[in-house]
Amino acid sequence: MTSWERSYARSAPWFLLPAAVLLGVFVVVPTLHALYLSFHQIDLLSLDRQRWSGVSQYAAVLSDPRFRRAFANTALFALLVVPTQTVVSFALALWVNRPEAPWRALRTVFFAPTVVAMPVLAILWTLLYQPASGSDAGPINRVLLGLGLPAHAWLRDPRTSLLAVAAMSVWQGVGLQMMIFLAGLKAVPPAQLEAAKLDGASAWQRTWHITIPALRNTFVFVLSVTSIFAFRLFVQPYLMTRGGPGNSSVSLVEAIYEMTFVAQDLGMACAASMLLLVTLCVLTALQRLALAEVRE
Amino acid sequence: MGLTPSRLEISRRSWLAAALSAAACGCSSRPALRIWAHQGQEAEHAALAGIVEAFNRHHAAGSLRAELTFFPDFQYPEKLAIAAAAGDLPAAFELDGPLVARFASAGLLAPLAGLFSAAERRDFLPTIIEQGTFEGQLYSVGAFESATVLYGDREMLAGAGVAVPAAGQAFTWAELMLACERLKRSGVRPMSLHMNENADEWFTYAFSPLLWSGGGALIGNDGSSVRGELASARNVASLRAWQALFELGYASADPVDPDPFGGGKTALDWSGHWMMRSHVAKKGARLLVMPLPGVGPAPVAGCGTYCWGIARPGHQQAAAGAWLRWVTDPEHGVTPLARASGAIPGRRSAFSRFPEYDVMPYAWLKEQLETIARPRPRTVFYSTLTQRFAAALRDIARGDDVAERLRRAEDEIARVIERRSGRRG
Repeated sequence: MTSWERSYARSAPWFLLPAAVLLGVFVVVPTLHALYLSFHQIDLLSLDRQRWSGVSQYAAVLSDPRFRRAFANTALFALLVVPTQTVVSFALALWVNRPEAPWRALRTVFFAPTVVAMPVLAILWTLLYQPASGSDAGPINRVLLGLGLPAHAWLRDPRTSLLAVAAMSVWQGVGLQMMIFLAGLKAVPPAQLEAAKLDGASAWQRTWHITIPALRNTFVFVLSVTSIFAFRLFVQPYLMTRGGPGNSSVSLVEAIYEMTFVAQDLGMACAASMLLLVTLCVLTALQRLALAEVRE
Repeated sequence: MGLTPSRLEISRRSWLAAALSAAACGCSSRPALRIWAHQGQEAEHAALAGIVEAFNRHHAAGSLRAELTFFPDFQYPEKLAIAAAAGDLPAAFELDGPLVARFASAGLLAPLAGLFSAAERRDFLPTIIEQGTFEGQLYSVGAFESATVLYGDREMLAGAGVAVPAAGQAFTWAELMLACERLKRSGVRPMSLHMNENADEWFTYAFSPLLWSGGGALIGNDGSSVRGELASARNVASLRAWQALFELGYASADPVDPDPFGGGKTALDWSGHWMMRSHVAKKGARLLVMPLPGVGPAPVAGCGTYCWGIARPGHQQAAAGAWLRWVTDPEHGVTPLARASGAIPGRRSAFSRFPEYDVMPYAWLKEQLETIARPRPRTVFYSTLTQRFAAALRDIARGDDVAERLRRAEDEIARVIERRSGRRG
């Protein structure tokens, strides 16, 4: 080992220390504390009266019909949003990946919803989805009626409430994923694309055989991040449907929020949060295994 | 065991003496008295800030100095809960009336025994004392009160051939439905119920009186038995009657306009005292103010609003007591707050400063608080109760089966209660 390598080995931990301390204080310790609390019966307003309860909080969470429905809703939401958002954002990225001004303007348009606060968008889309009732009908139903199609109460029908929330979420989030794909497209070797074109490959063949394989790591990243965002669904159902009608659009995070601040059952909320954490870890690991991120 | 008047007086004196000594000790290093309040409308916010300034001026000779912090109305209860969990509740704080039981049972509120004399307690509106009392102890008092009423537009009603009830009388449910039918036939949208209100609390606050008028209850008198109460046959019948308002097109389950009545789009408005000034200004003599219609023989009105409590444990309880007396004092607290917010004065003696309450329509607000108003249930499980009940009401308005939806809400609430009470794992 050279002296430089010895020096590097000695100093590396000191460079890692600030990040490790911050990670420890703001992520690891709170997570371990939440894990500890999840084995206790604790009232949010009387933390000093906590009582060891073993795994009973987990049993309570798993047998709670509202939580189970929230889990199913969130999984369905992720199944709807993750593939749709990934495919649409990739298609948009391919479409606007041109240097001319109009395409740059289009990128801004698609990205704009990402920078607007979600509560504002949630209220806006609630108005857009407004069911048809005379002058109160929302724009979407007015268009449907104008086309001769039946209007629909999107947010108040249990069959469509989650779908409506998912559609709004795809619209809101697609711009960010599009920008990530655009960044990835810059790394696709132009020479390969040009050579394939000269060899007579169609646009579809160039995309399928050159662009998509070159963006493998970008896809892994987009799928992982979108899945995590999907499982963190909260603002949209909280503001647009309050989890209803019935429990048809209640999300996992919304259910955890209710356990914490409505029922004020901190132990149960921590147990539910731990289950969400495990779910996300397993999901991310499976995605990485399936897509096998390529590291150079 | 209740306090005798003499013991009460001694106790009240000891509160005052402690407050005065706290003010007079001259310890300049004494920390400020922390006070938290929800940020209401702008005028109310300014009035409360002014009351704090006056309080500080009054105690300028000593070191008693209040420091007021406002928090956004939306999720103020969450802010209080987080502060309680962190052991960081301020010395005195505002909280919504129905939450008093929860905070008191968690040992976070100091009883106000002795802070007010028997005569002073009698000066508060009875609903304020009832709302602030939990298990026989008074834990909170408010400077103002609220009231639900049904507003009507006399011209629109007369145009549709609807006879209005005598002053102080409510429509019976049959009369209300007939009035709505006539209004609808005459081309007028009958009623607004503000179903677009985002806060869950509106639904419990506004529509519980209907259930009470039908002889039902949201929860048992013990505050913890909900099975057989919420989904009782009486409540199902009351809410079926209510659901008909939407089914027959008399009210919108998904309105957009926040004030269709004020804009002349509806003839009736199921609302509260906070719209009185606006409606009087817009409608003048056309405005009719009635008790809410009930499904039973006698109407019931909703009431209850933010009130003040003292944190426990706390090192500034005496000073906090001085603040509570100040902010609920008819001259220093009640008058400026009620004048600014348009809320109903919380002390009987304060009404002499509000001549409008001597004549209709304001007189009815005062009258119903003395006669037919009823606070929301005083239960430690109120947050869950109101959230699940509000969700059920939204679904019922949109066409869900009343009995089935109430049973589901009842089951959800009961599961939480049983779990928190240790009756379920």
